[in-house]
Amino acid sequence: MSEILQYVHKDGFFHRLHPFTKILFIIVASVMCVFVTSIPFLILMVVALLVLARISHLHREVIQQLKLVLLMSVVFIIITVLTMPNGTTLGYLIPQGVPFIGGAIAITDGAIGIGLILALRFMVLIFAFQLFLISTQPRDLVHAMEKLHMPIDYILMFILALRFIPTLQIEGQRIHEAQLARGYNPGTGMLGKIRSVAPIVIPLVSNSLLRSNVLGLTIDMRGYRTGIRTHVRERKFCTGDYAMMSGLVAATAGFVVLAIFASGLIF
Amino acid sequence: MIELKDVSYIYPHTVQEALHDLSLVLEPGRCIMVTGPSGAGKTTLCLAACGILFHEYGGKKTGLITINGRDVSAYTGLSDIAKNIGIVFDDPEAQMIFTTVEEEILSALEYRGLAPEEIEKRLASIMDVTYLSALKDRSPHNLSGGQKQRVALAATLALGNEILILDEPTSELDEHATRRIVEILSGLKRQGKTLLIVEHKYAHFRDMVDTLVVMEHGAISAIGAPEDVLKDERIRKIVIPDFNGIRTCASMSVAPHSAGAASPVISVRHLSYSYDDVPALYDLNLEIDAGEFVAIVGENGSGKTTLVKQFNRLLTPTYGDVEIRGKNTRNCTIAELARDVGLVFQNPDHMFFADTVKDEIAFGLKNLGIGDDDAVIDAALDEVGLLHTKTLYPRWLSRGERQRLAIACVIAMQPAIIVLDEPTTGLDGDEARLVMEILKKLQVNGHTVVVITHNRDIAQYCADRMITMEQGRVISDSPVQVA
Repeated sequence: MSEILQYVHKDGFFHRLHPFTKILFIIVASVMCVFVTSIPFLILMVVALLVLARISHLHREVIQQLKLVLLMSVVFIIITVLTMPNGTTLGYLIPQGVPFIGGAIAITDGAIGIGLILALRFMVLIFAFQLFLISTQPRDLVHAMEKLHMPIDYILMFILALRFIPTLQIEGQRIHEAQLARGYNPGTGMLGKIRSVAPIVIPLVSNSLLRSNVLGLTIDMRGYRTGIRTHVRERKFCTGDYAMMSGLVAATAGFVVLAIFASGLIF
Repeated sequence: MIELKDVSYIYPHTVQEALHDLSLVLEPGRCIMVTGPSGAGKTTLCLAACGILFHEYGGKKTGLITINGRDVSAYTGLSDIAKNIGIVFDDPEAQMIFTTVEEEILSALEYRGLAPEEIEKRLASIMDVTYLSALKDRSPHNLSGGQKQRVALAATLALGNEILILDEPTSELDEHATRRIVEILSGLKRQGKTLLIVEHKYAHFRDMVDTLVVMEHGAISAIGAPEDVLKDERIRKIVIPDFNGIRTCASMSVAPHSAGAASPVISVRHLSYSYDDVPALYDLNLEIDAGEFVAIVGENGSGKTTLVKQFNRLLTPTYGDVEIRGKNTRNCTIAELARDVGLVFQNPDHMFFADTVKDEIAFGLKNLGIGDDDAVIDAALDEVGLLHTKTLYPRWLSRGERQRLAIACVIAMQPAIIVLDEPTTGLDGDEARLVMEILKKLQVNGHTVVVITHNRDIAQYCADRMITMEQGRVISDSPVQVA
């Protein structure tokens, strides 16, 4: 079972970066992709992230999420086609030849364009956050967030939410198998998913609540909430950090210059 | 030192006492083992002893609890108590917070106010003591049950406390992993640590236990040196599972096997299976006849569960074939095979979702189109001794009762073959015997029973045949010699 958003133990370029550098990287990538409306520029950002993943030996992990990302992209495009008709009509979702309802739901170039922009922004955000999370040990993340004066309870909530994704995946799979063994056949598709809610979700939630009780007690009994901490093996800024920082500063400066003098290239 | 004096406790929103007038002293350097039926209050005792009940749970408390001479109410909270006591809960997965083994232990060390050099020194020492050095970069949720338990123990040891409380540290572990945990705990005791261990495997801990406590219905029913406590025959049966005589009793009480036995109901031919690229089973061949009682034994990861999941097509062979009552599983759906093969998983809580015990059983019947006939449900519940729980919420039952309910869910579906994965996990001696008696009765009633177990006594005293697996292969398959 592939693990979603879990730290991968490797020694690549991204792993060696200081968490602060990575947080800055996330901020720059997020802000840029939110403001940019140029499809070629967004494609360039996606390609740059994939190149960065390749350099950091994390391309396999990033590519693993491609299926989900493409699926979501298709969903975005369908939603915009359905809800935001705009510009030239390229065709119709229901062919004009169909009696009564033919010609309904126009497919417009404007809607497809907006859908593509949303999909590409989603790709940038997912790839950037994935690079950040799979290359950063939660311990380093806790250190960095503590230094940013975030409350420890919020930090732990964030760390645990990520940490327990694979646990829930495995638990859900076990429950699913246990119900299948009792002759349960919810069927496929959306209807099957709805039918499987009670027999799968109820045990999953009940077991998770019990587990969260133990987890909460463990956090207290190990003193994680005391705030008294000896910092060991702290990450120092290295050459890679300075290179990345310089790259981010250059990219931001370039972005601002383009926004002022050649806004047509990015907006 | 921990002292409990006349402690009684009622959980919030309940009326029954979980602990009743309980007094216990855990002296420095001593090891107390607490055992007893599920629902007897063992875990509640652990929670009381480390102040969790007082500081976190609410409820109604009476009596006195002191930790190192100080009343538990005088501590400011759990973080304050944690400077004195370390506790390892029974679910190791829930105690893994970070993403590598080393990070888990290192993070626990960082909050003790130690100098960086001391932290590194202790980290190396703890990894060494708990045999985790080779696993330091592994992700905790990819470890085996025994390895996870060692990580949870190591993170607790990192706190450096003299008192350790362990709630069923070996319940889901095989022989090898259990021995390793016992070895670690014995070493800790030799170092002078004070241990309170809730356990069912007395035989493994025998050499290190100073005081044996048996709990029933929230109270201590026996306490003292193990040899004295075990003189009482009734108590002895709770502490040490006794499967002796199950074979004979069941055979005498119920009709013999139906005619037509000795035809294979499970036929495995050249079965190989891989999880992605990781091989789990290698060219297995075996046949199980109708009416047989087969025990499959082997260490964790030997392929036992992977093998039985092929019987109802939860897994499909990578190579080779599995036939159930003459039907190749490749040509059947899981739902079709559920009519022939009933599979009870190790953790019954993976299946319960209904509001009542009756509805839980009716779920399987509806799936097979049998109809939720009250008579069928009553018969299944009666078979496992749970008729009185018919209208209760399944998760309110004790662990032993939930295990029996899981069996009832399968019995009601009337499959010819019943497969159980570790059916005695977490049960005391009496409960384990009760489960095995039920299974033996099912065999005598004509069912084929396959049990996966770490417990060789089960194989020896209950099964007709023992299949031993190791690293995905059957290394021995022979009839059990009746003593």
